[in-house]
Amino acid sequence: MSDPVSAIIPQSKSRHLRSCLLCSLIQTSNDFRSIGCPNCEEILQLKDNPDRILSCTTASFDGVIAVIDPETSWVARWQRTAKYARGMYAVRVKGRVPEDVEAELESRGIKYRPRDQSDQD
Amino acid sequence: MSDVEESGYEEPPPRRKAYEDDEEDDEEEEDAEEEQPGKKKRRQKKDPMARFLDIEAEVSDEEEEEEDEEDFVNDPFIETAETGAEDDGRHHARLDKRRELEEDEKSPEQIAREFSERYNTRVPSRFTGDMNEIPQRLLMPSVHDASLWQIRVKPGREREIVFSLMRKSLDLEYTAKPLSIISAFQRDSLPGMIYVEARSSQQVQHACNGLVGVYPSRGIHLVPIDEMASLLMIKKQDLAVTPGSWVRIRRGKYQGDLAQVVDITENGDEVGLRYVPRIDLNPRDDMDLGGSKKRKKTTTTNASARPPQRLFNYEEVVKVFGRNTVSKRGQVFVFLGDSYKDGFMEKDFKLNSIVLEDVNPTLDEITMFSDGGGGLEDGMVDLSIIAEASRKAALSVLQPGDHIEVFEGEQAGVHGIVEEIAGDVLTITAVGVDLEGQKIDLPARSVRKRFKPGDHVKVMAGKNADETGLVVSVSENVVTFLSDMSMQEVSVFSKDLREAAEVGNGTNIVGDYELHDLVQLDLQTVGVIFKTERDSFRVLDQNGQTRLVHPHQISMRPRLEPCHRHRFRRDRIKDTFGIVKDTNGGVARVELNTGNKVISIEKAKIHRKLPNGKSEPVEGPGATWGRNNNFNNMGPPSSMPNRTPNPYASGGRTPGWGGGGGRTPGWGGGGRTPNPYAGGSGQTPAWNASSRTPNPHAFGGGQTPAWNASSKTPNPYAAGGQTPAWNTSSRTPNPYAPTPALGGGEAGWATPGRSWGGDSTWNAPTPASAPTPASAPTPGVGVTPASTWVPTQPSLGGFAAPTPGMIPSTPYDMDQDTNDAYDIPLDWLLDASLSTYQSTLRVRIQGTRLDNYLEGKYESLEVHVLAASPAASNFDQTALVKMDSTSEERTVLMKYLVPVTPSMQDEAAVVLTGPRKGEKVKIRQRPDASSLLELVVVESEKEYGGAFWECQKDWMCAVW
Repeated sequence: MSDPVSAIIPQSKSRHLRSCLLCSLIQTSNDFRSIGCPNCEEILQLKDNPDRILSCTTASFDGVIAVIDPETSWVARWQRTAKYARGMYAVRVKGRVPEDVEAELESRGIKYRPRDQSDQD
Repeated sequence: MSDVEESGYEEPPPRRKAYEDDEEDDEEEEDAEEEQPGKKKRRQKKDPMARFLDIEAEVSDEEEEEEDEEDFVNDPFIETAETGAEDDGRHHARLDKRRELEEDEKSPEQIAREFSERYNTRVPSRFTGDMNEIPQRLLMPSVHDASLWQIRVKPGREREIVFSLMRKSLDLEYTAKPLSIISAFQRDSLPGMIYVEARSSQQVQHACNGLVGVYPSRGIHLVPIDEMASLLMIKKQDLAVTPGSWVRIRRGKYQGDLAQVVDITENGDEVGLRYVPRIDLNPRDDMDLGGSKKRKKTTTTNASARPPQRLFNYEEVVKVFGRNTVSKRGQVFVFLGDSYKDGFMEKDFKLNSIVLEDVNPTLDEITMFSDGGGGLEDGMVDLSIIAEASRKAALSVLQPGDHIEVFEGEQAGVHGIVEEIAGDVLTITAVGVDLEGQKIDLPARSVRKRFKPGDHVKVMAGKNADETGLVVSVSENVVTFLSDMSMQEVSVFSKDLREAAEVGNGTNIVGDYELHDLVQLDLQTVGVIFKTERDSFRVLDQNGQTRLVHPHQISMRPRLEPCHRHRFRRDRIKDTFGIVKDTNGGVARVELNTGNKVISIEKAKIHRKLPNGKSEPVEGPGATWGRNNNFNNMGPPSSMPNRTPNPYASGGRTPGWGGGGGRTPGWGGGGRTPNPYAGGSGQTPAWNASSRTPNPHAFGGGQTPAWNASSKTPNPYAAGGQTPAWNTSSRTPNPYAPTPALGGGEAGWATPGRSWGGDSTWNAPTPASAPTPASAPTPGVGVTPASTWVPTQPSLGGFAAPTPGMIPSTPYDMDQDTNDAYDIPLDWLLDASLSTYQSTLRVRIQGTRLDNYLEGKYESLEVHVLAASPAASNFDQTALVKMDSTSEERTVLMKYLVPVTPSMQDEAAVVLTGPRKGEKVKIRQRPDASSLLELVVVESEKEYGGAFWECQKDWMCAVW
């Protein structure tokens, strides 16, 4: 409750933690459903859309980052989450966003970077 | 909610439907309108420390966004003005202040750049991909970034602790003592530690205070800046699931079963698997379908009671469960909610309920998929996956000397023999027409062991481990051989095979039973196991019938009186000759001359064969051979006479033992008294033991023999520059020889020398040892050593020594040139007694030029031994060494490694052979380089008693 730009910090023991395939934020599937992804909601539209949550988030991720001060954090910068809400992020997320999202990103001229560390440059 | 994932797993087909069904929650009423203002308000309270880019970005309203969206991209400055106007005063003021402060220090260009950057990304909910264009390498940490600190935490709680740090930071944010850490993270592949991003370790310390499971006391370590990025780049072993790959099912009825991936959901969360079903065709509550079926199902999840794997057969299932339980949809049968295709069950699994690593499918399992399916096209069974697994393992199973063939790359098809292994590069000597003898470097992964029909092989790993047999066919990397034991054909991967001469199991034990056990098969039947196979026995029962029996079919092992078996065993081999190979406690391992067989037998039951045709017990009363406790070092007793051209051997008897006959207590006694070194420890009890333990010779009055003392203390004889140590006396014209005689009480010291000479442990056949007279007077015998002279004379096998004083002198003269060079065994490096010094030994490469091994370029180099461990007996031993001069590391065949003989005074060395083998010594006399056989005075290290003695130079290896 303390900070507005924080995503919901889920219980670490929750068995339903999922990571957003686009921004790597970790929330429970419930939270994704009730508030969507604080960073990517505009493009992913996860809110109240369980199907979408299933295809745009995943339970297979490795490494958890507590991003407390995204703007100063090198970790967040490295992970490209420096402009995102504070919260829990995954280091590595397995999978790619659905093709329609990829297409949408492309149409906006945004380079899609999968978070599975498949492309390092 | 909590069963969402479960149901996704349990109820198979709706791959993605689970979420739809379950996530009917009441929170849906919460609409956007309510949330937006709330958000806005909260955002305005934002942490002053945060940059304001996002604040502004998120402050703007939906309505505004709609109209201005286009403009934002094109003209950020207009937008600035607008949003700025909408901010409330407090926030605005703060921003201004801050901007002022910052801008003071910035160049106009920088400011301009920041502006454009800032406002390009400011559309509130529009996803912009941020810095996605920036290449990762430009994001590397700089010195201006905060540092990463590594902290130990309780393994398994890493994630929890990272969450706690997040929550704690948020909770304390507006308190008097906020945390100042910037981020914290954990990697699954780095258990037991977390990393915290902070400016100082104090901040980390402060943040960790009070958290359970964090151990800042174990140190908060700074991560070097160049290692920071790699922490975030660690890739877990990439568990790529691709259609066709093999996995195992983690839980439930099919736990451990092999399954093949059919397809994968778009996001990779779930995979469709195909596997052999386990349908219970004998359900207990017959024909009870529907609800009760379900109940039954839950009870049968017990893996031990599960039905066998069997392909789905429509007719069978219909017969048992009824026609309407199975429906057919195209190619697919649906039975009790599961779908079956081509006999296989197909079902979707969550990734975390399957095992992707170390699947190691066995050939049998894969065959089940390829044979059974029928409909399964060949391409689906991808042997390459198993091949891949075997290749990974290839490195660990290759040894120098292995025959290999290259199956990929430009050298494909080449055969050769592994010469050496360096990392994952092999050097092989090619065998074949045009390449014959050439040395080729190859990646280890592209070779496989090569076998040809007719080879005799042994399985080293897998469920067929220890099987041996004759290769009948080889196809790619699958070798089929005819088992020696079961006479069945067995197919295994070549990586699991080794050429071996031995036949049968390494052990004769299956389960709790052993070869020759008398076992009870049922109440009426008992039998004797006469043959063991891999997991069964052949038993001959009392009715004369043989049967194949598995361990579980044996009800018990009738208890035999132990003596039965012993008598049996002893009777069987009575009057058989053999060579003692090893001893352990009271048991000796004897290689029988007949039958080429090694048996274990109590020492009490074996007699030593003497050259005169008689025999005597090796141990206990009647044993004469003082050294009989370590005969494992001595080789066959029968060879003894050859060794000692004994001038005193009147009547062909070496006085040493021939004359003793149990009457010379001096050394014969060694076998009789409790000797800590008995049992073949490789130590010589005669003097060494006695110098430390209740003296075995002291039964005649408990006196310590004089010689014994001398080995312990600064040597009274050393004054003359010579040590009267045992071997000195035996080899050098001994000026002191008379001394003991005259000195009476000290006469004894000669004894050990003598019994040493008679000993065959080392190759010095010193006839000097013959000064049996000296040995005879072993102090133990009499009350005083001096007095023992007379009584013991008769025991010298007829050799009459009128005056002790002169006896030694004669033989000593003779043995000067009888010293033998130490013949270094090829595997001397592996000697157990050297193991503690192995890494310190100074070793030289020698003999490579002659064989053109490695082109001889390492010849004469001195090396450090980095590692040497025994290879299988039929392979050449190798050692990993580091060249002293170049620091190059490589493996070298051990036979080319020879010890460096110490050459300087005060140099440290290790004794390689002889009774004091394994002792660390210091050279106390300047060696004269001319002769390797030279004796030099050495001083044993403290832990070996600190004694001064003489040692033949080539018996020692210098240490670094």
